[in-house]
Amino acid sequence: MSNETSPAGAAKRRQGIDFKRYLTSPQFFLVLIIVVLVGIIGSAKPNAFNGAFVIAPLLTSVAIFTIVGLAQMMVLSIGQMNIAVGNMAAFGAMFTGLAFDLWKMPFIAGLLVGLVAGALIGALTGWIIAKTGVNSFIVTLAMSFALLGLIPTVYTTLSPGSAFTAKPEGMEFLGRGTFLDVCMAGYCGPAAIPVMVVPVLLVVLLVGGLYSKTKLGREILLTGANIKAAELSAIPTNKRVVLVHAISGALAAFAGILLATSTGSFTPAIGNEFMLQSFLGPILGGTLLAGGYISVTGTFLGITLALLIRRGLELFGAGIEMLNVFLGLILLVALSAERIRTVRRRKPAELPSETPPDQPADRQALSSGATA
Amino acid sequence: MKLKLPASLGSQYLVLLATIVIGAVVLGISSGGNFFGPVSMQTFFQFLAVPILIGLAQMITLAVGQLNLAIGAIGGVSACLAAVMVADWGFNPWLGALVCLVVGAVAGLANGILVVVTKINGFIVTLATMTVLLGVQYALVNTRTISADNWKPVAALGKASVLGLPAIFVIAIVVAVLVGLAFKYTTTGRHLLASGDNEHAATLAGISNDRSLTIAHGASGLIAGFAGFVSFASLPGVNQSVGGDWLLSSFAAPIIGGVSLTGGTVAVFGTVLAAFVVRLVDSARAEFQLAPAWVNLVIGAVILGTVALGRLRENRESTKAGMLRARVATHRINAPHMAETAAKEASL
Repeated sequence: MSNETSPAGAAKRRQGIDFKRYLTSPQFFLVLIIVVLVGIIGSAKPNAFNGAFVIAPLLTSVAIFTIVGLAQMMVLSIGQMNIAVGNMAAFGAMFTGLAFDLWKMPFIAGLLVGLVAGALIGALTGWIIAKTGVNSFIVTLAMSFALLGLIPTVYTTLSPGSAFTAKPEGMEFLGRGTFLDVCMAGYCGPAAIPVMVVPVLLVVLLVGGLYSKTKLGREILLTGANIKAAELSAIPTNKRVVLVHAISGALAAFAGILLATSTGSFTPAIGNEFMLQSFLGPILGGTLLAGGYISVTGTFLGITLALLIRRGLELFGAGIEMLNVFLGLILLVALSAERIRTVRRRKPAELPSETPPDQPADRQALSSGATA
Repeated sequence: MKLKLPASLGSQYLVLLATIVIGAVVLGISSGGNFFGPVSMQTFFQFLAVPILIGLAQMITLAVGQLNLAIGAIGGVSACLAAVMVADWGFNPWLGALVCLVVGAVAGLANGILVVVTKINGFIVTLATMTVLLGVQYALVNTRTISADNWKPVAALGKASVLGLPAIFVIAIVVAVLVGLAFKYTTTGRHLLASGDNEHAATLAGISNDRSLTIAHGASGLIAGFAGFVSFASLPGVNQSVGGDWLLSSFAAPIIGGVSLTGGTVAVFGTVLAAFVVRLVDSARAEFQLAPAWVNLVIGAVILGTVALGRLRENRESTKAGMLRARVATHRINAPHMAETAAKEASL
């Protein structure tokens, strides 16, 4: 999702350039790699794309991890990071599990409890960052360890088997149902598409709309691009920081709850794998670490690529250790490619300077909390 | 001003020292004096070596304004590779110990070169190398634990004591002293600090920031490798969990010890003292038989508190400086004005 606005006339005149820019954008690059990968996997293992057994689980994990990627992308958009994204997911899921198991709440109410809990823990994190001006990395790292200490303790004291397993009506349908279960006028949907895709798509559109259509979204991006300029433009940057962290917490919690509904139980292990993936998606998709630029489609594509590679490696029988090695290498290679691309694009525009162009930005990313 | 800076630093060390003394006394009383027994003290200092070393490793990257998330993975891989080499491939145990340091230095240099060449944020680079190294570590040892019986001479060093203190603790202190001296007296050390404090100024002064980043990451990796060696020598066995819980304490020690996250400062003594505090929390956890999760919670809270307090103090000082500037400015504006009125009065 491009965030450039320009007058209609200028846009028309620049159409040729825009098309060229689209071809060199990270999003197009990602689509290309994804298509090639699907081709390779499809031709090497013809039965790899069996609808109900391969595509449906793949889409389920793409749906869940897209939300995780968005949770991180929100925070990256203001030039900060959320190391606690997995723990916030576990925190939100824990409350939903509590609501189902101990308070016997219906499905939707329990879901809301979890989302609110995620938003609150996110808001608390954002509030600490905004109030103290401490680097977001340290605050979220400390928060992640605090939650890492808290969550298993709650589980062991409140549930006999360290897991909440109550399943209210609707949980199975959201977590494991496919469109095969949705029948209308005697016709049922394909078994390859899980029901979970619908709410996730809705959330993706909401986040995309927030950034591209609303004033609030633009204010958040400006806060990330240049916090001083944002303050001088009368944007209450502290409130925006708190809000962004709250939304990030709620999104993380949503992802945690979705994961729990798909596996069928709420455990402290939810969110363990979220941290690396949450950075992979947005960064592969072109979101800047320094803040001020995001890409929702890119995040989705980045997550899809990472999971496709994962699934592909599993199909070819690679072990868990190789998965890690490959994911790390992909992150490095993709980022280096991205760096070469931006350097080449910038070259005609600005003189090569002694200092690397991104260093001040990186520094800003680290200390933007301090300038708040 | 010159007198004030060491005084404020001194007060921070005093707070840390007081925390350590009070914590030790409380632990001593609650354990009925057992805590100060020879066996308990031996284990206390023995397991202090790793927090000190990983704190120093992180401190060096923080000094140039970078982070190193891969410290635990570097330490884990180096210990596991050494264990596999000695136990499976029949190498000399001392060669294994040397391999720890070499692996650490190579991995750290790789981090530094990646950061410099690709210009990617150090956070992402070390996140990626951490993931890769965790995969390698798992590939090396899988789910087994390699017993320390395979490298008895090195393990003997892990249990040896010098002047009543465990040898590995002494090694850690020696490393700390060397790091402190390097930052204080060598040109390279001063270059690292200059790059970390203000890279534009450093560039203008003829310092290569790229060189500083590479050296800092390399040294950080080397010390992480040292921590891997200490684990290799002192643990009863090496498995894939070595290094898994180093991340938080590697940040805890330098940050509590007074190192700024934005670069340009080091506090070797503070880092060592803070590592004592971290170790005390761990001992208290064992003493009161709490779940290991509580250590994370307490240390997370302490880090937040320290950083927030430091931030508040900084704010107060900058407000004070601002008020002083304002007073000087009003004085300057008023002074000519007063002279003018005086002249008018005189002419009348």
